[in-house]
Amino acid sequence: MLQYIGRRLLVAIPTLFLVITAAFFMMRAAPGSPFDMDRKLSPEIEANVLAQYGMDKPLGQQYVDYLAGVVQGDLGPSLKYRDKTVLDIVKENYPVSLRLGFFAIAIASVIGVSLGVMAALRQNRMTDNVVMTIAILGVCIPTFVTAPLLVLGIASKLGWLPTAGWNDGALPNMVLPVVVLALPQIAIISRLTRAGMIEVLHSNYIRTARAKGLPEWLIVRKHALRAAILPLVSYLGPACAGLITGSLVVEKIFNLPGLGKFFVISALQRDYTVVMGMVIFYAGLILLLNLIADLLYAVLDPRVRLA
Amino acid sequence: MTFASARAETITKAAAVRGRSLWEDARRRLMRNRAAVTGMIVLGLLVVAAVVGPWLSPFTYDEVNKSDVWLPPLQGGHLMGSDALGRDLLTRLLVGLRVSLAIGFVATFVSLVIGVAWGAVAGYVGGKLDEVMMRFVDVLYSLPFIFFVILLMVTFGSNIILIFVAIGAVEWLTMSRIVRGQTLTLKNKEFVEAARAAGLNRGAIIFRHIVPNLLGPVVVYVTLTIPAVILAESFLSFLGLGVQPPMASLGALIAGGASDMELAPWLLIFPSLVMVMTLMSFNFIGDGLRDAIDPKDR
Amino acid sequence: MYRPFRRNHGILALGFASAFLLLQGCTPGKPRVDDCPAGKVCLRAGNGVEVLSLDPHKVSGVGDHRVLLDSMVGLTMADASDKVAPGTAERWETSADGLTWTFYLRDAVWSDGVPLTADDFVFSLRRILNPATAAEYASLLYPILGAQAVNEGKAAPETLGVRAVTPRILEIRLEHPAPYLLQLAKHQTMYPVPRHVVEKYGNAWSKPEHYVSNGPYTIVSWKLGDRIKAVKNPRYWDAAKVCVDQISYYPTTDNITAERQVRNGELDMNADIQSNRIALLREQMPGYVRTHTYLGVSYLTYNNSVVALRDVRVRRALAMAIDREFITKKLMRGGQQPAYTFVPPGVANYQAVQPPEWAAWPFEKRQAEARRILAEAGYGPGRPLKIEIKHRNSADPSLIMPAIQADWKSIGVEARLAQNEPQIAYAAYRARDFEVGDAAWVADYNDPMTFLYLMNSTTGAQNYGDYKNPAFDALLKKADNEPDAAVRAGYLAQAERIMLDDATIAPVFFYVNKNLVSPRVTGWIANLGDIHPTQFLCVKGSPKAPAA
Repeated sequence: MLQYIGRRLLVAIPTLFLVITAAFFMMRAAPGSPFDMDRKLSPEIEANVLAQYGMDKPLGQQYVDYLAGVVQGDLGPSLKYRDKTVLDIVKENYPVSLRLGFFAIAIASVIGVSLGVMAALRQNRMTDNVVMTIAILGVCIPTFVTAPLLVLGIASKLGWLPTAGWNDGALPNMVLPVVVLALPQIAIISRLTRAGMIEVLHSNYIRTARAKGLPEWLIVRKHALRAAILPLVSYLGPACAGLITGSLVVEKIFNLPGLGKFFVISALQRDYTVVMGMVIFYAGLILLLNLIADLLYAVLDPRVRLA
Repeated sequence: MTFASARAETITKAAAVRGRSLWEDARRRLMRNRAAVTGMIVLGLLVVAAVVGPWLSPFTYDEVNKSDVWLPPLQGGHLMGSDALGRDLLTRLLVGLRVSLAIGFVATFVSLVIGVAWGAVAGYVGGKLDEVMMRFVDVLYSLPFIFFVILLMVTFGSNIILIFVAIGAVEWLTMSRIVRGQTLTLKNKEFVEAARAAGLNRGAIIFRHIVPNLLGPVVVYVTLTIPAVILAESFLSFLGLGVQPPMASLGALIAGGASDMELAPWLLIFPSLVMVMTLMSFNFIGDGLRDAIDPKDR
Repeated sequence: MYRPFRRNHGILALGFASAFLLLQGCTPGKPRVDDCPAGKVCLRAGNGVEVLSLDPHKVSGVGDHRVLLDSMVGLTMADASDKVAPGTAERWETSADGLTWTFYLRDAVWSDGVPLTADDFVFSLRRILNPATAAEYASLLYPILGAQAVNEGKAAPETLGVRAVTPRILEIRLEHPAPYLLQLAKHQTMYPVPRHVVEKYGNAWSKPEHYVSNGPYTIVSWKLGDRIKAVKNPRYWDAAKVCVDQISYYPTTDNITAERQVRNGELDMNADIQSNRIALLREQMPGYVRTHTYLGVSYLTYNNSVVALRDVRVRRALAMAIDREFITKKLMRGGQQPAYTFVPPGVANYQAVQPPEWAAWPFEKRQAEARRILAEAGYGPGRPLKIEIKHRNSADPSLIMPAIQADWKSIGVEARLAQNEPQIAYAAYRARDFEVGDAAWVADYNDPMTFLYLMNSTTGAQNYGDYKNPAFDALLKKADNEPDAAVRAGYLAQAERIMLDDATIAPVFFYVNKNLVSPRVTGWIANLGDIHPTQFLCVKGSPKAPAA
């Protein structure tokens, strides 16, 4: 198993290299530079600024220097936030994004699985229809529609929660963003669980269990649920991608200091180093989460062999 | 994006290939599925409205009407009201729907072409080539794609063609996996053996015998990819990276409406409704198709 | 080597453990929405943008200035209505030729207790002009003797015309008389930085953990994207009069989000409002909306290398056909004024010029005249003028450019719109990569020169339209060497007249500053420069609030 993990990590290195290379040259191909602003810099000052950040060298040299820095764990200074390094920004802001994502997926899993099981047990009846309608709506109403509506209703009109901001991660500030992120995931997870459950409930071993006279709740808990959760585990990878996409929107709407917001702003402002830092961080995160999801899958399904 | 890929697995499992005669069965089952039929009708109406509507409207999507600023619905001849520049919302909505649908269809077509070719070749040829091609897909899968799409928009400026290509290029991955899986089971079937015995070359076998038989799962996946693409585009528009004003798309209209929701709620409500209707229609049709092709679940 | 993988719950634990590792520091704490210490007065201010640096020599934005303004005090400072008031200097005098200024410093200390001397100012001015500092805004100080040579690396920083006569007396010599020096002296470029701290920590001095200030507040923490926190500096010379104990500056990048936060009581104020919501807010939140004319102008600039735009008739026709009343009254509705001239009304040392004659005509007449002179220039239905308007994608330009496009369409001009991020758009203008560009200028200091020098032929990149009129240049030169303020204002007015007659740009509207301020905040006075030092503010209902 350790061997498997080792091999996966080895594959991760060329992947990261590819990511860095692609992002580096795409960013540099974008029109404009980080030192563009409303006012003009005198040529002398501009030359000084470029030299300060090593940007007076040929692009190939800069690329090699950058890679060398990354290998040593140095992501360089931010070109816009002149008091901060990229590592400062990542360190300060990744907990925000991760926290949101973690709570969203945890809540979505609990609610989604419960709804899915309920629906499967009452297949084609009222509960099922209601749950499936919710699931379809959850998928079809985009995050950027639910978020403003919730802000308008719950925060602005009722005044129960803050409309935006982070405040060092205070609980009231987190509720709406997490709910908005979790809603589409609840929808998907409940559908996956329902489909998995229905398949399992029709299988032979459940029939055997029923024939043995086991109580229904025990059958669900001990036999069916475990098998039905498998598709959910394999969904965790795509779920992370979904959460990252969602967090870009949520961080923008709620003005949260997460990495996604900095990524978009930095890309628009051509803060090359910050953009690169974010891309590397997210690529690493996705690789790691995919690995974890595969491992979990192997744990839960004895038929799967890691090779 | 995620929703479609999440379902890929179920689809692959579900849509086993059957003989031709079963297509008739599938069609009948689909027609009995009320949700799917409703979806088809609604979608049909939306498509017709998007294609024909803007021509019938007395307004154009970018026409500034200085006397009609922020009119609520039904005033001044604006059925759905007007925006800050006095532009007719209904016309903009129809044009936006047209743009979103076009992006959905074209980007899905791009992903279809790349994904089917890639998956079929990998699956049919097999061996080392399969290994390399699918490893490549794995590597791409683990990239933070949305970041690259954003970088792409930033680098080359947002234009519609680029949006097609960027989104299509992301969506083909899942398609290629589905197709490869199907090809693997198909390639040992008798009719393929027969073609091989008849001396057809690989290319001919792949594109004349394998690809047509992939239709079932591919059609299902396509109907689920289109709404995913529409969502992806609207997401980009929301971040200000999608279609550029005065052009409209559903996402761009919703983004604009959301910021003015206290002032002019109609600017948020109508585009959101159309968006939800469109996405739901596609999803109902996709689900219906899946159930029709493989009735196991019901 | 494939080994069957056996069920192992350790893996589950490993998975979760690594997930939690990633989430370190993630214990959901108790709600801390309002972390104002009991008995203290706290202000939560929406700052509009994220601050780029806390080093006054490395920033140029108004958002940066709003934060630094509370921590640093220059030789002079802004009072509650942005008038020049004595700051670190108690008084000053100027020589008869206006070329030598002497500032007498008060007995002041830095927030760490170290005395503040004239040497700190000398050090600071040499530092910002030193090319190694790469200060973006250094050129503002070019009126100081030798500043340009130092900044361009042609002379040593020590040659700068600034010296400490005694620890409490600072002398500044100028290149030419500059009546606006006292304005500059309250600007961030002339803030002192603590020499003893900068020499100890280098560029890291401006990190909150090392930060030392000389003003009413000092910065204690900065969480990027979340907030900057500053607390009262008890060693400030006027600390007894300061009411607010703690300030949180929030980077409110979206005006509408910030508006909801103010409405919901999460913020006490925000530094901007989206123009077209002002009318609604006045109605729904009486007492919150504060607007004032501002020293800024929005204009269209024409690229001189586009043949059609070299024709003054074309430029004039385009300028005439813009419906500025519709743009200001119907679209933006924030109190902005239609602009027919370039220098905003209300600027100090300014003598207003008459707008062009057509400004008073009914719009239809202007359109007809525009069509006529366009036809004269050779453009009409058979041969329409086709141009591209490049514009910034910020809120106001995005709103008004489609209207201008429509206005031009009605005189037969086919305009395309191309949107860009503001800084990218400006870079394109400087590179002359545009046809018609949407630009804006906000005063660096309160004087017409900050506007008019843009059109000077020697200005270079920022003279986007490459305007060149020797008569205009000569008048600016005369103004620069004129010690008498009234005579100088006359020269500047003549220069503006020439520039407007040449229709080198099309002014669109004059800015207003727009603040959303809770009525709980007292002492807040709307002003031309949009400068509101927190030391003059208080919060109603707080222990120290003045009697209502």
